[in-house]
Amino acid sequence: MGTTFSYLVLGVLRMSEKKIRVLMSKPGIDGHWRGGIVVSRAIRDAGMELIFGGFQNVQQIVEAAIQEDVDVIGLSIHSGAHFAYTQEVIDLLREKGVLDNIMILLGGVIPAKDFPKLKEMGVANVYGPGTLTKDIVEFIRTNVKK
Amino acid sequence: MKKDYNIETLITNFKNKDKIALARLITIIENEPDKAHEIFKHFEDVKHDSYIIGITGSPGVGKSTLTGAICKKLLEEGKRIGIICVDPTSPFSGGAFLGDRVRMTNISLHPNVFMRSLASRGYKGGISRAVFDISLLYEAFGMDLIIIETVGVGQAEFDIYNLAYSVVVVLVPGYGDAIQMQKAGIIEIGDIYDINKKDLGGEDIAVQIEMMLDDSTFQSGWRPPVSMTDAINGVGIDDLIQNIMDHKEHVELSGLINNKKKNRFKYKIKELIYSKIDRIITEKLLNESDIDEIINHAVDDGKFKIYRTIHNKFEDMNFDIKKK
Repeated sequence: MGTTFSYLVLGVLRMSEKKIRVLMSKPGIDGHWRGGIVVSRAIRDAGMELIFGGFQNVQQIVEAAIQEDVDVIGLSIHSGAHFAYTQEVIDLLREKGVLDNIMILLGGVIPAKDFPKLKEMGVANVYGPGTLTKDIVEFIRTNVKK
Repeated sequence: MKKDYNIETLITNFKNKDKIALARLITIIENEPDKAHEIFKHFEDVKHDSYIIGITGSPGVGKSTLTGAICKKLLEEGKRIGIICVDPTSPFSGGAFLGDRVRMTNISLHPNVFMRSLASRGYKGGISRAVFDISLLYEAFGMDLIIIETVGVGQAEFDIYNLAYSVVVVLVPGYGDAIQMQKAGIIEIGDIYDINKKDLGGEDIAVQIEMMLDDSTFQSGWRPPVSMTDAINGVGIDDLIQNIMDHKEHVELSGLINNKKKNRFKYKIKELIYSKIDRIITEKLLNESDIDEIINHAVDDGKFKIYRTIHNKFEDMNFDIKKK
């Protein structure tokens, strides 16, 4: 067999534009997948590249974010442990020297009264139940500068 | 929130084995192919001696899980491994849902592994344009093995054949009968065949593959072996790895490796040429709106002049290229 080649698709280079890359992750053991999946799908449909991390511990989240060179980490947390996990992710990102390059978004069953403190910690935005996916997409588009 | 994409700095860090630098160089190569020459001028003396394994097969056959299971064992043997996983880009939104890494979480923290998920970004053939470039970066980074996992493919997406030295074609129980096995394309490119999900059966598929292979001639002297695995439970992985390593030995000892390496470079050279042509044509002759105009004319005005218009456009173009 010679060199098979299926490249010649007119305009394929235009697909090489800069894409926003988002890691969606569920820290810890917590089986509520639906929210993360729905938001991931919305991000895909908005023309971004979504890396689905699934269940990951904090080290795995940070390593994935580094290797995939993502612009955004989305943490989907329904276990009530949002303060603990978020702080650990932020600390490890800082330790690795990449905190300033990555935007952190939080979603899940998180009480509104916790939002201010989470934002103080460095989370860019928090999304509770009832959020419209287009708001999440819009926020990412506006705030990630490529 | 501005990342440092200064190439000189990244190259320095890359040479100190910094994974952040590797990741960012990949991003540059993926997003700005025109900068590839600036990056690779720093790696002109790199030896291309990483061994490249391709894993291909239809969607859902377990390519990612298998890749994870194979890597787990090879990492235990002390190998340094670079993984490239490709999933499709949506033709509608341009977005992608990359779901390969999630199958390999258990190896993701190993210091000797680096994994990158790619979207196909409109590239046909089961891979993405950047796959070759990233394999070069992995070689420069000192990986022993590079594993390329293709998009879930159909019958005719087999560009992986040009990039990998050993290709594993993964099938699952229920694949098809003796007629399917005779078809050209994906089913004939395997150096190694694996029937995954063996917990669901698949002995009949293994027999069909063996019979198909018995009907084939192999000029290289390598008759592909067939293994059966249950990747999610780690069953049969040792057999599959043994088959891959046997093929690696065959390719290296027979000298086939040189041909494969040349074919791999040829593939990229052609791609570089075609992408330049693509750009010239798009910029100078026919852009998206010109094409739309021809289509609108054909559909809305009932004037079907597609062949003539394209023919005339190219007739009119001045192809005199000054050669230095």
